[in-house]
Amino acid sequence: MRFDILTPRERFGLLVIDELPDRCNIIPLITSHAATVADIPLRRYYTEGQAMAEAQIIAFERYGHDALSIFSEVGIIAEAIGSVFDYPEDDLPVIRLPILTKVGIEDLKVPDPKRDGRLPIYLEAIKYAYNSLGDRVPILAYVPAPFTTGVMLSDPNQFLIDTIRNPDRIHRIMELGLKAAKGFCYEIINTGGLPILVDPLASASVISPKAYKEFALPYEQRLIDYLHRYDLDIILHICGETGPIIDLMLDSHADLLSVDRIDPEFLYEKCHDRIRIIGNLDTSLVGFGAREEVIKRTAEMVARLKMAKKGYVAATGCEVPIRADPGNVEVFIQIAREVGWFWD
Amino acid sequence: MDIPGKISLTEWSERFEKIPDEEIIKYRYYKNKDWGRYLQPPATFYIYGARELKRLKLDNSFAFLRMWGFVFNESERLFRARQVGKKVIAVSGDLGTVPVIILAFPDAVPFYPECIWWTPFFNESKVLLEEAHHHGAPEAACFSKAAIGAFSKMAYFPKPDLFFASTGASCDDYSAALQIIEDLGFEIEWLEIPYRKGPDYPERAIGYLSTEYRRVYERMADLVGKTGDLSSSIRRANRLRGMVLEIKRMVRDAPVAPILALEMMVVEFGNLYGYGDFDEWIDIVDMIYGTVKERVESGIGVLARDAVPIAWITPSADPYLLNLVEDLNLRVVETEYVINQAMGLIDDDDPFQALARSFMQASLIGSTREQVARIRRSAAAGKIKGAIITTMIGASHCAMETGLIEYWLKGIPVLTIDVPAPFGITRQIKTRLEAFAETIRAR
Repeated sequence: MRFDILTPRERFGLLVIDELPDRCNIIPLITSHAATVADIPLRRYYTEGQAMAEAQIIAFERYGHDALSIFSEVGIIAEAIGSVFDYPEDDLPVIRLPILTKVGIEDLKVPDPKRDGRLPIYLEAIKYAYNSLGDRVPILAYVPAPFTTGVMLSDPNQFLIDTIRNPDRIHRIMELGLKAAKGFCYEIINTGGLPILVDPLASASVISPKAYKEFALPYEQRLIDYLHRYDLDIILHICGETGPIIDLMLDSHADLLSVDRIDPEFLYEKCHDRIRIIGNLDTSLVGFGAREEVIKRTAEMVARLKMAKKGYVAATGCEVPIRADPGNVEVFIQIAREVGWFWD
Repeated sequence: MDIPGKISLTEWSERFEKIPDEEIIKYRYYKNKDWGRYLQPPATFYIYGARELKRLKLDNSFAFLRMWGFVFNESERLFRARQVGKKVIAVSGDLGTVPVIILAFPDAVPFYPECIWWTPFFNESKVLLEEAHHHGAPEAACFSKAAIGAFSKMAYFPKPDLFFASTGASCDDYSAALQIIEDLGFEIEWLEIPYRKGPDYPERAIGYLSTEYRRVYERMADLVGKTGDLSSSIRRANRLRGMVLEIKRMVRDAPVAPILALEMMVVEFGNLYGYGDFDEWIDIVDMIYGTVKERVESGIGVLARDAVPIAWITPSADPYLLNLVEDLNLRVVETEYVINQAMGLIDDDDPFQALARSFMQASLIGSTREQVARIRRSAAAGKIKGAIITTMIGASHCAMETGLIEYWLKGIPVLTIDVPAPFGITRQIKTRLEAFAETIRAR
């Protein structure tokens, strides 16, 4: 059993300046699963900032991973713009009314993150988490990228049809999503969170690489360019199928790529000397798989990807399922810690 | 020119939003185009853990934005230096002279590990101090023990290629910290500092110190395989020191404070080694000099015109204290930060002897009376109305010397503050500062 030498913040700090830390960073995407660990109702988790932060801290204290993940679901910016969501007691918010089914784009406004929707709740969570642990642990604040927000503003079928029939309309929506994301990122930065861009609805499970290149990638690039003004190290996370768009993702200007369904060997060959890799154990395996299989596949993955020249973060490919077996999460972290050790 | 003022982290972010990309990418350390950028607002460093920035008020000029970006970037810079093949040289204890020798060699980067004592305070964190305690440093010891934590973790600077440390007439808390660091497995080249008996020190001290400095030079020449140009590095050091002396003079004499005490402290400490890129630091100080000069000539500044002038003796490990004092309408016009040896110009005759004579001006190796003589003269001339001494409980020279400093400053109000651990400034300390401010305003 090895004992950590560095704090998560020190470890992440070395990673992003191309230095080898004591061991690889381990950041399974523990988002709403934190509510399960903290034993609080999900609705409380995503409607009360302090509750979200406290749940993240409780999960961190239990698991000992390397970052807090302030996040519940990808609709938050769309909601702040005007889409309507229901809040089930024991599930994540469900979209009831995409705002663009009722009004035109010209009627939409860029939201105020300090006032609109649940964005203030996220800011409160970041602030609480930062004040509690910010000297030791990075506070990752997940920000839906413009394409994902665009889908959540619209009837999804119509949105996808418009990518072919009415691309100008999509670009107008993207511009709005970009402004909204920038505004949210700005407030996150001033609250102590490190924005991480999530664009799951731009994955190859949803759209073609061609559509990704035309509608998602340019806005990811512009958002990342904006964040690079602050010299922040930006993670782009796309879950679902990412193999077909991996070359395009490499052109996103991101500093770290977090990917989901893609063969680790292929991922290594494509990325290891070009960008820091975050990934990518099958999230359902961590959630509900056999313990032995989690151990075996985590060890194989970390042993290979820790050799990545530009650096590696051991992670799940997507969010740890809300009701995942905590024992599996623990064993994932334990094995990644042992196999991912670097220092003598 | 902007109206000078104090602004918060969020106000700096608002201003940063308006700075064009071309300006942001213009400033780079080591002139590196890939990763050398350093013009970032306080919010960037806040995200990476510098939590105290949310409480601090900073100067609103572009020159100081550039300065803070550069200073907070130092840790990354030292790692990058090693990545591109530069020699990273740790220097401890002498505070200002040995780096001039190291800078004589191409691609050699000196740094002071003990200057990491500010990090726990900027981060409002006990991580480094707890690590130092874990390795045997006492709780009651100078915050420079943070260097032990940094050497243990190796996440704040790379393993140095060489490590020169002074011994002899140096602070014993620092010496204890260095011994622990040596026990961690870091090889140290020790050099002896002579004690100074008054201003008329014996000439043999110069001869002895010159020999020690030659040894440093030769060790460096062995390491890099080249000879160094000491005359050139003395010229560069003097250029920096000359500008800083002039900035200090303007700060002391201007009717309105042209810059804040915190920024002035960072500028003064830059004389030690230039925060990891000496030439870029000279360029930054040149810009600061221009800003200060412009403000002084325009008769404008960052504090109220009726701010009461005081002196500050020994640097505060917690930068927030400097802000608090200015919030009470006090103004720091004189400082004695125990780095006197890094402030004066170095002669241009025999370089080793010149460096030795420069070092013999050091604050820590003479008598207390000498150390505070300049402050006494300012008090006698009516230029300061009081003095603040910041100390640390248990730090040997602080604890022993405070009473003597107070004695030699008799006649002017003196406030001594034991700087508490990070994030430890209490209402009681604030009340004492308020009472001190009221006292000197009433005189």
